[in-house]
Amino acid sequence: MTLQHPHAELSAYLDGALAPAAQAAVEGHLAACALCRAHLAQLRATTAFLRALPDPVPARQLVPRLAPPVWLAPLRTLMTLASGTAVFLFIASSLMTNITFLAGGGPTGMSAQEASRDAVTALQAPTAAQPTPSAAGPAPAGTAEAAALDAAKRQDASASPPAAPGAAGSQDTAQLGSSEPRPSPLLNPWLWLTLAVISGATAIALQRRLRAPV
Amino acid sequence: MSGAPDSELHLLIDRARTGDTRAFEDLARREERALYRHALRIVGTASDAEDVVQDALFSAWRSIASFQGLSFRAWLFRIATNRALDHLRSRKRRPELPLDPPDDDDITWAEPVAPGPDLTQLAGDREALAVVETALGELPAEQRTALLLRDVEGFPYEDIAVITSVEIGTVKSRIHRGRLAVRNALIARGWRGPDG
Repeated sequence: MTLQHPHAELSAYLDGALAPAAQAAVEGHLAACALCRAHLAQLRATTAFLRALPDPVPARQLVPRLAPPVWLAPLRTLMTLASGTAVFLFIASSLMTNITFLAGGGPTGMSAQEASRDAVTALQAPTAAQPTPSAAGPAPAGTAEAAALDAAKRQDASASPPAAPGAAGSQDTAQLGSSEPRPSPLLNPWLWLTLAVISGATAIALQRRLRAPV
Repeated sequence: MSGAPDSELHLLIDRARTGDTRAFEDLARREERALYRHALRIVGTASDAEDVVQDALFSAWRSIASFQGLSFRAWLFRIATNRALDHLRSRKRRPELPLDPPDDDDITWAEPVAPGPDLTQLAGDREALAVVETALGELPAEQRTALLLRDVEGFPYEDIAVITSVEIGTVKSRIHRGRLAVRNALIARGWRGPDG
């Protein structure tokens, strides 16, 4: 027995952390010393208590969300496809509009259509803009007439004769508006161009998020 | 990192090092609870421990390219331990307790003070474990850290030395003194050792 109660070494001995020579020395001492054996047993039991401590559970998720959500990649693909489709529809609707434009006799056709639409809108507009409408008489008709004239001024005079002044002229214009159905908004190229830009920008933003370093 | 084959682990680590966030999340999730219990017993409150672990895991992700040498688990524990001790220092919740007091030879082999309930039979019982938990909480933080890393997490002394950035002799000393303090707390409650 080369050691005098190797108390300070007992924990390391218990953990097998001593050098082989020191381990053997402590072992030799323990064989002959009941007190050190009791202390070693206490340390071992203390270790067992520590290992048996309850395992607390965190109340929330502690692993930070580093990966983007799983739905991000499919959404990016969807937005890309939507953008492409919208570009295609933009081109298609532009072509269709141009075909209609040509079939309608050049620029006058389109402008006449637009002008008549404006005229109808003006006729149907509420008179709220006029705070004191007259009870009866020429004032409302005159207002509608003025609006119709304004719209008609935008027409090419050579293609479409100006609307006749008075109630008869406004009625003609109204009949024109009602006789020609309004074009479907789906044929509006600007709608598709807007959608193409929005979905394209969204797809780019999602792509950047997917590739962004955290 | 219980139950994970080494090859799978290395694959995940390699993927994480190349920027695979899901691989890192998988690795972190395996150690989440162990890191939490470790941090909780260092900082003392659940919300602080959660913050410490989240912060440590985020920090680990940002510096994963520099990971080398240690086992991945020890590396995570090193970051979390440092965060927890930093948190404790900044908070100064217990200014009366230095983090690592000078060696105190007074922590020795106390003997049972009086006959009391035989806590030997209560191993795993709430009362004995509450005594141990309280005694742990009263240890100096760095002694407590070393003891937790050894007896709760099962790290070898060499890893504990790296995790806590001290010499292995200091690790031995801290673990032994920590165990003695816990043992003495049990003795003070009438425990007479495993042989009664």
